[in-house]
Formats: sequence, structure tokens, C-alpha cells
Amino acid sequence: MKKKVGIYICQCGPNIADNVDIDKIIESVSAFNDADDLEIVAKPYGLLCSGEGKDYLKQEIEENGLTHLVIGACSPRDHNNTFIGVCKETSLNPYLYKLINIREHCAWIIHDKDKATEKAIQYIRGGLRRVLYQSELFENKLDTNPDVLVIGGGIAGIEAALSLADADRQVFLIEKTDRLGGKAATFKTVLPKQQDAVEAIQLKIQTVQDHPHIQVMLNTRLDRIIGFLGNFEAEVRSIDDAEKMTELKIGAMVVASGFSLYDASTHPDFIFSGDDEVYTALQIEQMIAEKNQVTTRSGKAPKSVAMIHCVGREEVGYCSQICCNAMIKLAARFKTQSPDTTVKVFFRDLCLPHQDDQAFYNEIKAQGVEFVRVNRIATEGSQIKFTTMDENEGSELFDMVVLAPAMIPADGTPDLATKLGISLHETGFFQEAHQAINPVATATDGIFIVGTAHGPRGIQATLLQAQAAASKIRVQLIPGEQIVPEVRVSETLEAFCMGCKTCLEVCHYGAIVFDEDKGISVVKEAVCRGCGNCVGSCPSGAIQLKHFTNPQLYQEMIEAVQ
Amino acid sequence: MGKTFNPKITAFLCKWCSYTGADLAGTSRLQYPTAIIPIKVMCSSRVDPVFLIRAFLKGADGVLIGGCHPGDCHYESGNYHTRRRFAILQSIFDSLNLEKDRLRLSWISASEGPKFARVCNEFTDKIQKMGPNPTRKNMFI
Ligand SMILES: Cc1cc2nc3c(=O)[nH]c(=O)nc-3n(C[C@H](O)[C@H](O)[C@H](O)COP(=O)(O)OP(=O)(O)OC[C@H]3O[C@@H](n4cnc5c(N)ncnc54)[C@H](O)[C@@H]3O)c2cc1C
Ligand code: SF4
Ligand code: SF4
Ligand code: SF4
Ligand code: FES
Repeated sequence: MKKKVGIYICQCGPNIADNVDIDKIIESVSAFNDADDLEIVAKPYGLLCSGEGKDYLKQEIEENGLTHLVIGACSPRDHNNTFIGVCKETSLNPYLYKLINIREHCAWIIHDKDKATEKAIQYIRGGLRRVLYQSELFENKLDTNPDVLVIGGGIAGIEAALSLADADRQVFLIEKTDRLGGKAATFKTVLPKQQDAVEAIQLKIQTVQDHPHIQVMLNTRLDRIIGFLGNFEAEVRSIDDAEKMTELKIGAMVVASGFSLYDASTHPDFIFSGDDEVYTALQIEQMIAEKNQVTTRSGKAPKSVAMIHCVGREEVGYCSQICCNAMIKLAARFKTQSPDTTVKVFFRDLCLPHQDDQAFYNEIKAQGVEFVRVNRIATEGSQIKFTTMDENEGSELFDMVVLAPAMIPADGTPDLATKLGISLHETGFFQEAHQAINPVATATDGIFIVGTAHGPRGIQATLLQAQAAASKIRVQLIPGEQIVPEVRVSETLEAFCMGCKTCLEVCHYGAIVFDEDKGISVVKEAVCRGCGNCVGSCPSGAIQLKHFTNPQLYQEMIEAVQ
Repeated sequence: MGKTFNPKITAFLCKWCSYTGADLAGTSRLQYPTAIIPIKVMCSSRVDPVFLIRAFLKGADGVLIGGCHPGDCHYESGNYHTRRRFAILQSIFDSLNLEKDRLRLSWISASEGPKFARVCNEFTDKIQKMGPNPTRKNMFI
């Protein structure tokens, strides 16, 4: 069939026109005759991205009956989508168009206009060769399921479930214990300062339980998932009754499995048994929640309390962010219980990140809580030995010792990660898609991580993440709307594949499966992200990435090296 | 040779980091030679070694691969695979008696416009000194 390629060179005001000789480009590309049955229409234009520019392009495509389109203009980051949009409004398949960036890569990198022009010509001719080898691709629309599975019924999971259910999404909330609320449900007061949050948290729990769009499944764990964004299938199983399996169809998942605490008894410097007056801060919180006061094992109010920060921090290798404040909160609580209690806080570094923290710290110091900065500290029961920063040694016996162990990943986190096919950070918490840019998503589209499953943090930051993930899901999966999966995906060529499975190993997304019957690998298009790693790995050239095929790249390259 | 040698260099740049870094070099009006023609790929791991050998046999004087810094690949682990394949490719070059210095792998982030310009300057300079790719006239295939 006769091919008719339109090549349009944008002047971009003076940006391109001043630094490359557009007429020369037009002249050179018009003379291109390396392909049979080829007709070239090459023209300059002022501002192609303007309203008039776009109309002009549409008109040119239709009137000339263009079969392919090459645009020499700016960075694809600026206007690739603009021109794809133009194609979509015409009869030209957008995958038969190619943008060549002669602004950032030619006009702006050298003052020598001849050289810039020469490069632009070569670059555009490469684009022209490539576009002749491009194929039409058709974007398929897929129905999606807007329902969501939330794993973990702590404050993180609760907030995510509510934010989704209030927007009329059906939510399945699975919790491995027999109650909702996680750790936060046990706190009498919460930071910042000492706010009463019991009612607010209880209200959230109650709302989840009564919500018409939330199905709470207690004593339940995840067995397996398959699928992709918009179309996951999950199997969940009752922990009490292994026979009881439920299959759920959902479009996205929120992982909110929370945290555990570092086991201080494994630390050589902290020697204590269950009979000693040594407690974790969380146990004190629970005690307060249960009987509204703190007592020793013999039932008496402690007259002296030592509070030890950062237990296991060196071992885990990070700061748990919230424990200093949580400890200060408890120190204040001891003072409220009985103002003449001796409360000594042993710390090495204090982390007071919230804007109200400093004032609260000053306030409780004024109430007589003593802060001792130590270099080393060890306990034997409630006898404490320490070395201060200026190397003075001390030894003191207390009625009660409260430890702040580091926050660590919840039990079962590695297993859950394997089931979900998502990765863990080196600290063992779930890994986000991008630490700075994409903090609640994971490498797998449709799976989000929120709260302390993602790393140590307080309730406020946990809720923010839960709300963020919920709103991402609300945007990505709109009921009744279909999604357009990436079409520039890989495919295996049956005849060439020798079944070595190398590609299965390199694909980070598990997008390739092995067809045992045929003995070949097959790409699951809906899961493939189109990176092309498998193409680079295949020893027999049996995989091709659509729109980035070897012939296409070869054409682009050949012009560059000739 | 009376004529000055204008090297032909192809740069495979991943869309997410190095291509964006290259854009930034342009936006910042950093100056570098025009010998390098960029080819955009989604990830540096798309570049397969056999393809690069073909580039050399076709006469490329140099090939640059640009990817995200280790740990920053948009597809998580792609560039680790690139690094491994690149090492293998270098040893293949050795055993084929091709000059492996004509290959370069660089990690260039989206914000490293200056690094992109520097790499282009250095690499062009180096290839200029090495002279034209001898493989082109020696190989008959
Ligand atoms: C002593 C102490 C005091 C604190 N005080 C404060 C404070 O005053 N203010 C503040 O903002 N923060 C405080 N924090 C931090 C606060 O506890 C956390 O930010 C909050 O609890 C995080 O909630 P979450 O839902 O992420 O995790 P969690 O509370 O750990 O909840 C996780 C839930 O998921 C369930 N689960 C785990 N794995 C699975 C699985 N595989 N399948 C199903 N369910 C699973 C668990 O059973 C649990 O119910 C304190 C922390 C400690 C240790
Ligand atoms: S399309 Fe790009 S090159 Fe053309 S005017 Fe717009 S910004 Fe400038
Ligand atoms: S790497 Fe290539 S040959 Fe090996 S299984 Fe995958 S597609 Fe087949
Ligand atoms: S292109 Fe990337 S995501 Fe797709 S199958 Fe290959 S390696 Fe996996
Ligand atoms: S996306 Fe840049 S190297 Fe993979």
C-alpha cells in the first residue's frame, strides 16, 4: 500500500526556528526515498501545540490522507499527549505517529546552527524510518470492579475502609484477630499532647461495623490473590475453621497489617523475666485502658518509674518516630496519677517532630519529670545501670521500668508480601512504589500500603496515608468506567521460544507465565508494564515489546550511525 | 585522512530518568556535541546485547546506554539487569576483538542535566580520539 508520511516541523516561535534551519530540514526529508511507494509531505509551522496548530494538523492528516505522521518539535514530556490527542480525533492511529525532539536535543545544545541542523535532519530521518515500521495498536477497554479488600483492621485499615465505603464502594475488611482497632484502640489518650481520642476511635470502629458497604471478616487471613488492577480475585480463609474459604472479587487492595514491637528480652542489655516490674509502653497503655491506673504486679502504685527510650533502635537500624512522644505521654500520665512519683526518662536522642511536641515536653519537665541523657544503659530486673554522655556512671533501683521497644514489621509480613507479590524494604516493612514520589502505591498497580505496615509512624500520619490510598483508588477505579491497559506490552513469539524461563525470572511484575502444555512462556498483557526487560533477557529473541520492536529501534539507529 | 572525523554515537536512554535528564540539559542550554543521537526506550533493560553488537557491525562509533541510578529504576530492578548484561557484553566485545571502550553505561537521573552534558562531552571526546570504528570495514556479513 502506498504510504504517505506527513512531516511537520514546529518553529516554536524563535526557540527552534532561530537555532536550526527548518527549510533545510524540509528539503532534506522531502528528498528521502529509501522506501518504496512512499510519498512525503513536509511543512514548517509556527506553533503546533496551539489551538490553531492542532486544527491545522487535523486538517493536514485528513486532507492529505496521511498514513503516518512525524512531528519535529519539543520534548515528548511537553506535547506528546497533545499530538496523540490530535491523532485520536482523526482517522490516524496514534501509534503511527512519532515525535522527534529537535528543541531540547538540537536547537538548545549548540550555538552552531549548521551542526544543530545536521543533527536535527539525522534525528528526524531516523524518526521517519521508524514510523514506517510502526504498527497500529488498539487500546482495549476493560470492565473494572470498584470493590476493595482491606487487610488489617487497625486504625489504618479502618480509615481506608471508611473513606472508600462512604464513597459507596463495597469494602471487605479482613482482620486476623477477633477485634477491630489494632493498637490504637487501647490508648486512653493520644498524641499530640494528651488528647482524649477514645470516643473518636470507638466511633470509627462502630461505624465500620454498622456500615452497609463494609463487610468485616474477623479471624480471617488472606490465602492467595490473582489478577491485576480492576480485576483481582482473592481467597480468604477463616483462621478458626480452615474449611471456611471465601472468594472475593475486587479491583484493588489496601494492606494495613500494622506493626509489632521489638522483643526487648532478646537484647543482652535488658535482663528481665515476666515477674519483674519491667513493662513495654504498650503494656502500660493496655493497663491504663483496662483499669484506668498503673500499678505494679503487687497492685501498688509505683513511687519511682524509669522510662527507657530507643530499646533496640541500634539493632533494627532506624528511629521509630513515635516512641519518644508516646513515652512522654506516659510520663505525664504517671505524674497525673500521683504528682510525687519520681519519673526519670533515660534517652539518648529525643525525637520531637510535631509542632506541639516541644511545648508538651517543656510542660512535663516543669512538672518534675527528669530527663537523663545516657550513652549506655542496661537493666537487670528494675535495677538500672547507665553511663551518661559525660561518662559518669550511675545505678538506681526503681519500682517500675517502662521500655520503648522499636516498632518492627507485624508478624507474618514476609508471608503476606509473598502472597501479594510485593516487595519489602530492607527494614522488613512493605516497600512503596517510590519513596518520595509515590509513597502509598506499590510496584503492583492496585495494591496500596498504609499505616505502620509501611514503617513506624503515629496515628495522624497513618490516617493521612489511609485517606490518600482511598482517594487514589477512587480515582483509578470509577464504577462503570473501563480502564485502558497499556498496549505497548510484550508478547512472546511461539516459534522462537525455547522455554528456558529466563524471562520469568527477570520480570519484576510476574507478568510472564509458563504454558506447560506448549512448553513456552506467555505474557499476561494486562499485568505487563512494558519495560522490555524480558526482551533484553531472552537468549533467542523470542519476545517483542510492541512499539519498541527490534526492527523499529533498528531503523531509528541505522540513520544515526550511517 | 584529510577530513575531520565526525563520530556517530547512539544513545539508548530510558524514558524516566536519562531521557528526562537529557531534556534538562537542553532546557538549561548546556552545550555538548551533536554526535550523539538519542533513542528513547522505556527502560535501559530493554536494550539487548545482540542489538548493540549489530549497531557496531553497522558502523556505530560508540554506544551509550543511559538509565536511572541503581535503586531508582521506574520498573524497580530493570537497571540491575542492564548492569549485568552490560558486563557480559563487555566480555563478549573482548572475545570478539571489538573495542569495548566504545561502549558506555551511565546512570543519569531526571535532574542530572549537567551530568548528561558532561557524559556526552567526555564520551564524544574519547571516541574522537579512538577514531572511526574499524569493525565497519573489517567485517563482511
Ligand atoms: C506504646 C505506643 C504508644 C503510642 N501512642 C501513640 C499516640 O499517642 N499517638 C499516635 O498518634 N500514635 C501512637 N502510637 C502509634 C500507633 O500505635 C500507630 O500509629 C497505630 O496503631 C498504627 O495503626 P495501624 O493500623 O497501622 O497498625 P496496628 O494498630 O498494628 O493494626 C494492624 C491490624 O492489622 C491486623 N493484622 C496484622 N496482620 C494481618 C494479616 N496478615 N491479616 C489480617 N489482619 C492483620 C492486626 O491484628 C491489627 O489489628 C503509639 C505506639 C506505641 C507502640
Ligand atoms: S509544539 Fe512544542 S515545539 Fe511546537 S510550539 Fe508547542 S512547545 Fe514549541
Ligand atoms: S526467555 Fe525467551 S526463550 Fe526463554 S522462555 Fe522466555 S521467551 Fe522463551
Ligand atoms: S515488558 Fe517488563 S513487565 Fe512486561 S513482561 Fe516483559 S519484563 Fe515483564
Ligand atoms: S526506567 Fe530508567 S533504567 Fe529502568
